[in-house]
Amino acid sequence: MKRFQLAGLVAILMCAPHAFAQTKAASNAATVEELKKFDHDWLDAEKRLDIDYCEKYFADAYVLVFPNGQTYTKKEWLGILKGPDHPTITFLVPEDIKVHLHGNVALITDHTTLKGHDSKGGSMDGVFNVFRVVTKQDGVWKATGVVMNAIAAKK
Amino acid sequence: MKSVYRLAAGLVAIVATAAFALGQTPKKMGNMMSHEDVAGTIAVMDHIWLNAARNNDAGAAAWLFADDFVEIHPGGDIVDRTQQIDQIKDSSRSFDEIHPDDIDVRYIAPDVAMLLDTTTIRGLQGGVNYGGKYKVIRVFVKDQGRWRAIGAGIAPITP
Repeated sequence: MKRFQLAGLVAILMCAPHAFAQTKAASNAATVEELKKFDHDWLDAEKRLDIDYCEKYFADAYVLVFPNGQTYTKKEWLGILKGPDHPTITFLVPEDIKVHLHGNVALITDHTTLKGHDSKGGSMDGVFNVFRVVTKQDGVWKATGVVMNAIAAKK
Repeated sequence: MKSVYRLAAGLVAIVATAAFALGQTPKKMGNMMSHEDVAGTIAVMDHIWLNAARNNDAGAAAWLFADDFVEIHPGGDIVDRTQQIDQIKDSSRSFDEIHPDDIDVRYIAPDVAMLLDTTTIRGLQGGVNYGGKYKVIRVFVKDQGRWRAIGAGIAPITP
């Protein structure tokens, strides 16, 4: 009888690492969904010029690289968004979002469609493949880096 | 009877410790370097990365790139680890020059680093001229005690 009890206990304990792995996989899947939502929320905030959101969810180290290689720090980019010469964005939607999760950092690639114009009325329309870096800081995911690459000519 | 319980208690301790160690070991190892050490190490990794590209050194690239590596090239092509290594070892590809300048390690955590650099390229791939300057974000993680590249985004600097 005791042997059966011991065998049962051993079997349960042997399953513990497997259960741990399954729990971790489920946790990763939830984080991937959380980051896909973050990608949408982030672009929605930029579209509606929500500076408070960007201040909160952009890391201090944030850097944005435009398709022409022009770079902006967090201070520079948010200065543009809240300044008198801010762009007007009418459509900013990421699709085909893929999340590469590595613990406290995730790389997100997406296919972003942008429609809008700059303060002088110049078209900003374009389709981009975008590389995004998101880091977890004090338990909060923050936008930390962006590189945009145009995959269709701007018209 | 007592020996059965002692054996069971021992098994519980071993399994519980193993599961805990699985989750904790890399993070503890990541705390051993100072901020300055990490920035210096990451700058060196940047040079190793581009030297591998210049020398068609697939072995160095394989050593450097993490399994889930991803890179977005100028023009928007997205490549994974295997595709990037294949491109590095492609004999039709010839870079006379490829090096990073203005390396700015913008974010450092115990197990994560992100840099921005200006990469200069002079060379051809498949007859296509890739010469020019590029702004590049490169990201590294500390995995099992050593830094590995997990990805990069590259945009050409155009007038």
